[in-house]
Amino acid sequence: MNNSAQTQSIDPALYATATEAIRAEAKRVLEAGTVAAVVGWQAGRRKGSALPAIVTDPTKADTLVFSPACVNNLALYLTKAKKEIRQKGRLAIVVKGCDLRALVGLMGENQLKREELHIIGVVCPGVQGRGEATMAAKCRECAVHTPEGTDVTVGSLPDLPRFTPVESEELARLEAMTPAERWAFWKEHFARCIRCYACRQLCPFCYCEQCLCDRNRPQAVETTPRPAGNMAWHIVRAMHLAGRCAGCAECERACPMDIPLNLLNRKMAKELKELYGHEAGFEVQEKGPLAQYREDDDQSFIK
Amino acid sequence: MHGHKEKHAFEPKIVAFVCTWCTYAGADLAGTSRLQYPANTRVVKFPCTGRIDPVFILRAFQKGADGVLVSGCHPGDCHYMAGNFHARRRFAAFRQLLDFIGVDLNRLQFSWVSAAEGGKWVEVVTELTERVRAMGPMPEFRELEAEECWSGAIDTPELKEAYETIP
Amino acid sequence: MSRIGVFVCHCGENISRTVDVEKVAAEAARLPGVSYACDYKYMCSDPGQSLLKKAVAEHGLDGVVVAACSPRMHEKTFRSAAKSAGLNPFLCEMANIREHCSWVHEDREEATAKASDIVAMMVARVKKDKRLVPITVPVTKRALVIGGGIAGIQAALDIADAGHQVVLVEREPSIGGHMAQLSETFPTLDCSQCIMTPRMVDAANHPNITLHTYSEIESVDGYIGNFQITVRKKARSVIEERCTGCGICSAKCPQKKIPNSFDKNLGLRPAIYVPFPQAVPNTPVIDRANCTYFRSGKCGVCQKVCGPGAIDYGQEDSLIVEPVGAIVVATGFELYSISEKPKGSPIKGYGEFGHGTIPDVIDGLTFERLASASGPTGGKILRPSDGKEPKQVVFVQCVGSRAREKGISYCSKICCMYTAKHTMLYRHKVHDGQAYVFFMDARTPGKNYDEFWRRAVEEEEAVYIRGMVSRLYQKGDKVVVMGSDIAVGLQVEIEADLVVLATAVQPRTGADTLAQKLGISYDRYNFYSEAHAKLKPVECATAGIYLAGACQGPKDIPDTVSQASAAAAKVMTLFAKSELEREPIVAKVNERTCVACLYCRKVCPYGAVEEKELRDRQGNLIRVVAYVNPGVCGGCGTCQATCPSKSVELDGYTDEQIMAMIESL
Repeated sequence: MNNSAQTQSIDPALYATATEAIRAEAKRVLEAGTVAAVVGWQAGRRKGSALPAIVTDPTKADTLVFSPACVNNLALYLTKAKKEIRQKGRLAIVVKGCDLRALVGLMGENQLKREELHIIGVVCPGVQGRGEATMAAKCRECAVHTPEGTDVTVGSLPDLPRFTPVESEELARLEAMTPAERWAFWKEHFARCIRCYACRQLCPFCYCEQCLCDRNRPQAVETTPRPAGNMAWHIVRAMHLAGRCAGCAECERACPMDIPLNLLNRKMAKELKELYGHEAGFEVQEKGPLAQYREDDDQSFIK
Repeated sequence: MHGHKEKHAFEPKIVAFVCTWCTYAGADLAGTSRLQYPANTRVVKFPCTGRIDPVFILRAFQKGADGVLVSGCHPGDCHYMAGNFHARRRFAAFRQLLDFIGVDLNRLQFSWVSAAEGGKWVEVVTELTERVRAMGPMPEFRELEAEECWSGAIDTPELKEAYETIP
Repeated sequence: MSRIGVFVCHCGENISRTVDVEKVAAEAARLPGVSYACDYKYMCSDPGQSLLKKAVAEHGLDGVVVAACSPRMHEKTFRSAAKSAGLNPFLCEMANIREHCSWVHEDREEATAKASDIVAMMVARVKKDKRLVPITVPVTKRALVIGGGIAGIQAALDIADAGHQVVLVEREPSIGGHMAQLSETFPTLDCSQCIMTPRMVDAANHPNITLHTYSEIESVDGYIGNFQITVRKKARSVIEERCTGCGICSAKCPQKKIPNSFDKNLGLRPAIYVPFPQAVPNTPVIDRANCTYFRSGKCGVCQKVCGPGAIDYGQEDSLIVEPVGAIVVATGFELYSISEKPKGSPIKGYGEFGHGTIPDVIDGLTFERLASASGPTGGKILRPSDGKEPKQVVFVQCVGSRAREKGISYCSKICCMYTAKHTMLYRHKVHDGQAYVFFMDARTPGKNYDEFWRRAVEEEEAVYIRGMVSRLYQKGDKVVVMGSDIAVGLQVEIEADLVVLATAVQPRTGADTLAQKLGISYDRYNFYSEAHAKLKPVECATAGIYLAGACQGPKDIPDTVSQASAAAAKVMTLFAKSELEREPIVAKVNERTCVACLYCRKVCPYGAVEEKELRDRQGNLIRVVAYVNPGVCGGCGTCQATCPSKSVELDGYTDEQIMAMIESL
């Protein structure tokens, strides 16, 4: 077990090779005119940083990069952040394995069509978590280093050590608590929530035009950053993502108040897998676990 | 008829979300059969358990419910064929979420009560009422409602007085 | 600001005995928005209703709460009272303080407090009530019947006799279905064709029935009262209007050695053929796969001999659109075949019976053709392998049926009776023959059914062996049947000349595909599901679609005919009015906020949700949203609970109404 998972320990050449391959593929599809734009990452101004980029000019293809700083789930740019680019035509998008699961989920939800996308998968050894050198918690337990079902996949996987699964351990720790202890845990965390909704803004699945939690007739969830509303917001958010969230953990990354939001998502994913054998984002499914049923579903909790 | 009724120090507030075709009719049957049960439950009628949004449960707790009951038609009896099947999955997931947040699931009961099961309605409501009565008031959500921020403990006499007057 | 009226009923003493109704009314009067509150002895009485109407007028009420019995009891009463007072009936709510309160609680204080709470909840709700108008849907008084067996024919005739147009669609070249294949029918042993063919002719000649044979349903659009059906009329290669049915084409066709599936492949037919002599319509069809002309381009004999020039080799499939208001599905059944292990099916097949490789192992329908006077053997029981008369015949019941381990758990219902019939027919035709029947138990509920079965056993001397057959194999010209007799606990071996298997009744191949086109549900075996097992046995959950016959589950002829007439009666009920009126408790989509994730469509049990394209004035697509067809929506609200953004709302049970009730607690 390696508890101090460092992205720096991964050979930089791997990222460089992947970067080259992404650039070549982006250039090729843009020149051939098969796509109108490539959604990828480019280097940020600060050394070692990266940010999402939309490239339409083949000569700019070599601005694209892949590095441990390529944390963003670009699926967001197809349905929410820059959804107008879809009107330009077919798009190419660079995805890590975890990002691809979001794309697959969105296809099942009628938001994207596979044939409208050229998917450039990148084999990802892991990206940064908090603090530039450490590996993100989700990457320590990643099961999708190599994206499947893409149009092309670039990069290769080094031998990775077995990292300490910090998220699973935290989940197990919480599950072992009494309800009162868990309540205290979440109460403490949600206390800090300032309702900036960064978690919502970055979530590829929060694509509603009008969020239920912004409605005021009726007001289901109080909007001010008070304890009652915060608790309701996080419960509703987790419930709405249940069976859909594919674990990109962007919500948690974006949270300025360090609330461990992905724990909620992971818990729901785990329960739905146990209950209905469902795992989000591996194949395009018309119906998620909460949009279908079996007559013999478990009902041991019902009197 | 029953003997003299015992008075309890605490009477819980129970909210029941029921479908109109089975459980509501089952509760009606309990009435026409003159069965007796504790008066703590307030019924909200839905066409189908499929219509019941988890947000309603959350809201009921926030508005001071000490216990919540969700009840509908037995599997296969749904007037709309599949509403209760969808509800079953939805609530299977939701209760896990509430449990993970730290809500004691003893306060949240699900049941199938058919239009013919007046007796079962009485049984379910009585059992839940007695269980929740024994557990005492549900402080969690009500405290949140009262708190302006987490650090603000109710430590001044003014705040305490204001808190006490919250219904 | 609302002006709500609250009327608290004593219900004689039923409520006032345990609930302090004056107090409830007084407390209600203090609720915000309540401008009038009173109590009265009997609200449902005439004076009670007048009180309500008068109060609405005098106080200008814009909402009413009647605190009385269950809404299941009197909601209609008070809503119509409200309506006659000029109030929209959906602005009248009932607070159930009798069944849910006074009758179930003894403590006056508690009961009164609860009654006040219930009233407060309903007052909160009524303030959020919206005016709703009943939905009217125009009805096209024209019915489609799918399937031309006895079920379809019966339904079509009943509807047509009531004066409505009927479109009858049959997949095969002739109507008649399985009943036309049967020899004689239980329990009366009357000749099937003698009773069936006149009905077929009636259907064909009925002025209100349009017959499309050799046709299939291509697509189904629309909803109750307003379906658009596209029928694919397969190319017959014969112009129906010109053909006189003289039959010379079939007689002269040089290709005559094609197994006739109507005769279960025991008889042969030409490439241009009618499936059986009494076929309706008596118009032949060219079997293009076997026709020499279509295979090699040479021949053309039928065209040369046809006087009226009815042969058209260039004919193509045509698509016909039929507008109808109701649909009766009567696609019937087929027998499970042991000849091969079904691919992709949960059914396991019968390897131990040789998967049908033994020629003298036949199914029940094949036996019917052997016993039929118009069949390939002219009614003589001759076995397929060598045409000899079998002296020992073994019948095996429950082949496939009631065999969970084989994949089918249901009882096929008709086999006990038809096997008894087969033993009799056999005995009547082969006097020195002996029939054996392996059976689990004899299921003979039905008028004169058990008497019939006993006759087979007691008078016709069929030997019934209670037990299962484990294996069949060929030995010389005999088929050895290995089975058990559980009555004596012994293994039995019979060297039979012929073995007849009562194989399971299954829905038609493609039943699931048709169901998907129709938007109706089906079970794991592909039998169509009725809306309610007891109270709606002929209705589909999808409004305007009804079921008749074995497509819903195994059925004998009397049950099939009854259900067909019942389905026809349902259609006539629908057609009795030119507009369909229904409660406006339906879901509506907020197109402004809908993002077309279509979760609503995924969970809708009625298939009421469609995609709708929003376009600008130039016709450019802006975006896609969900649309709930109010004619189809059943009003369960599952869509709304599922919708992440609550862009679909169920009228009468909106989030505002529900939340208001919860907030009032």
